[in-house]
Amino acid sequence: MAVTTFEILDTTKDVTTTRTLLHESIPLTGTIVSGTYGAFRSEGNIKNYTHGQFQSVYDYPYLSSSANHIFDIAIGYDESSTLSGTTNTTQQAKKINMYNQFSQVLLGYTGSNNDAKKFELDLTLDATDGFVMKEAVFVTLSRLITKDQIKKGSVSVTLGTGSWADPFSDNAGRGRKTLTDASASDTGGTANTLGGDYGLLYELGAPNLVRGLVFYQAGILALSTSSWTAPSAGSTKGETGLEFQRYDTDASSKKTVAQVFTGSAITGACDTIRHRIQNISFNNTTEINSTIYFCRVPHNTYNYSSNPTYLSSSTIRVKSVNTDTPVSYITTIGLYSSSNELLAVAKLSEPLKKDPNNELTLRVRLDY
Amino acid sequence: MSLKKFGENDIILNTMKAHPKCEFFIFDGRIYYNNVPEQAGAFSGRVYNIPPGHISLYEYNIDKATDSNDFIYPFITKEGAGSSFSTVSDKTYSTQYTWGDTITSSYPMSASITREYMVQAGTRSIGFNKQTKKSFKTAPTYRHFYALKNRLDFYGVRSEHYKVSSSYGDKNDQTINLISIPSIFYGSGIKPGTLSLKWYFTGSLVGELRDTRQNGELIEVSGTNIGSVAGVALYDEGFILLTGSWALNGESINLINGGSADNPKWIYFGAGANDTVTQTTAGANYVSASFDLSFKGITETQVLTMFAHARRGEINYSNNPTFLIHSQSQLDITSSQIYQENSSRAIYNTVSSSYLDYDARFKRQVYISRVAIYDKNKNLIGVATISNPVLKEEDQDLSFKIKLDI
Repeated sequence: MAVTTFEILDTTKDVTTTRTLLHESIPLTGTIVSGTYGAFRSEGNIKNYTHGQFQSVYDYPYLSSSANHIFDIAIGYDESSTLSGTTNTTQQAKKINMYNQFSQVLLGYTGSNNDAKKFELDLTLDATDGFVMKEAVFVTLSRLITKDQIKKGSVSVTLGTGSWADPFSDNAGRGRKTLTDASASDTGGTANTLGGDYGLLYELGAPNLVRGLVFYQAGILALSTSSWTAPSAGSTKGETGLEFQRYDTDASSKKTVAQVFTGSAITGACDTIRHRIQNISFNNTTEINSTIYFCRVPHNTYNYSSNPTYLSSSTIRVKSVNTDTPVSYITTIGLYSSSNELLAVAKLSEPLKKDPNNELTLRVRLDY
Repeated sequence: MSLKKFGENDIILNTMKAHPKCEFFIFDGRIYYNNVPEQAGAFSGRVYNIPPGHISLYEYNIDKATDSNDFIYPFITKEGAGSSFSTVSDKTYSTQYTWGDTITSSYPMSASITREYMVQAGTRSIGFNKQTKKSFKTAPTYRHFYALKNRLDFYGVRSEHYKVSSSYGDKNDQTINLISIPSIFYGSGIKPGTLSLKWYFTGSLVGELRDTRQNGELIEVSGTNIGSVAGVALYDEGFILLTGSWALNGESINLINGGSADNPKWIYFGAGANDTVTQTTAGANYVSASFDLSFKGITETQVLTMFAHARRGEINYSNNPTFLIHSQSQLDITSSQIYQENSSRAIYNTVSSSYLDYDARFKRQVYISRVAIYDKNKNLIGVATISNPVLKEEDQDLSFKIKLDI
């Protein structure tokens, strides 16, 4: 249908923009992370690589086209860590490289020598010794589930700090530990760095104990080994000599956290960490930007249609007496550029009756 | 870092047209899409958590079950923008939620084909207005047919068989079998000439329709009435209307809810495809029928092709710190007045030697590992990473072809 008249949109009064945040609740239960899709350490939803730098976790056996990649796990430590240079170290260079890689990407560099910054369990990144996290477990969440960013204040990670055989329900002794970023919100409780905003993962029930970091835009969790090793005062869970890994009944196979970080390959350490993840949950965020056009229909216009069906034998169908006021039914709104090019069409769910006795304002929203 | 500008012949924008094949097999109230069997998971009887024959919109919530492996779900907070889910009506949004409340929805969202069996498709009851003392026509019984009437007449120029009223009859008075295909299955349209509808009775083919003329007419190519048109297809809109009511064989079968047995006919094609017809509601021999619907869709993808050239004599230096020999002083002089970099730092020789304990002669060369794309304001807008770094010697010309599906 040819358009013969246009209503000019006044950009100061008729056009506005809005931003809507759409969230999704993402629960990742430990059962899919460990032991559901096959025997532990040979699950079909766990992918190991020949490079051995990290391990990928899928929500279903990854050979199936149904599977979605949900996160990767890696471990690493800084070369100044006490674990560095110890005897019986496996893949030491690779573990140091992993730590450096994450720190360079997420934190950037410092000093005249452009040294990569170290992770710290605070929001200042001032290299205060007591807060530097020299050993870390990195959980890189898939973009598929983090979308634009993780919602601040929504992260919860439950880790098993009990014995190897019963890591989660041994509550009488070491129990399990839940980490949350409860202090983070859109208005505070986070710091900004090269990799975006990050918040602190506090131990639930021990509000002064920080056990890790969460990078919201990057979708990365950096967990401290202190989640499993000896806690500071105020927490009763975890211990230095924790039986962090014990693949068989032989007591000699028992390994502490430090022994796993030094004596196991990254892949083996990731297996152990998977065994000790009970739950990871967070809310993601998708930002939907919209432009709203208020299309105003004055009383004295758009009361006629150039649709061929509007006329029947040269008389207007919707009028029975020639003195009746003209009537039209609005079904569609076309948005045109300044060069009169049709850019978009908005359809109404049902036609709106228009005659000289009424005025309409139609709100057209364009999401992108 | 220097940037190179694309020349007028270095950027090509074209459209890639693909034709994804779709096949639906309908039997005993179940639809099988592309012959994919139902897949059971560890938590859920169906991995995708959608009924058979459906397609999952995001393919989220794989093998999920309430409590044991909870579902991902979306939510939105009621705020000034006034956004909500389409499943929440304006009234509910206004009255049931206060500002700051969370409005939830659920995944997975899915779609599948639907069949509607319409006896006297144009039926409209007559009502009576006591005030005006005039009779009026009520809303149509089969609104989907009514919505398509204009479109059917529009395609009348393609074939008379489309027209609602023509020398072939009046569709308002006919029994119509409407099959609706959501566009997620075919893209922008069904490819003309690829439609095939097969009617099986106790496993034997008793009739097949094809759009051999590619004009939307569904012509019987196998059966008792070869050459006759049994219906039409709306390619762009994804609808098939079947009106063929001749017997495909002499057998009798129950394919109507609560109806009597009849011969296999095209108007019964697809019985059981999300139309509430089951063995219980139709009859015991309902399972003797099975149907196959196949076609190719049309998807159009705009593809941006960019040629990035690394000419001879250019792109021979790297800013990577490892490009220079280690432990060289970066600064020559530095003071409160002067900052002078060391201009004689040596480049690490990466030329491979064929001999032990012998360093090959230095040549200026780099390994290109990625190509970055910038906009006119020098904002980085994309990075293309090469699977293996490519050796670029000083006297070589290289061109990288970068394709981006838009």
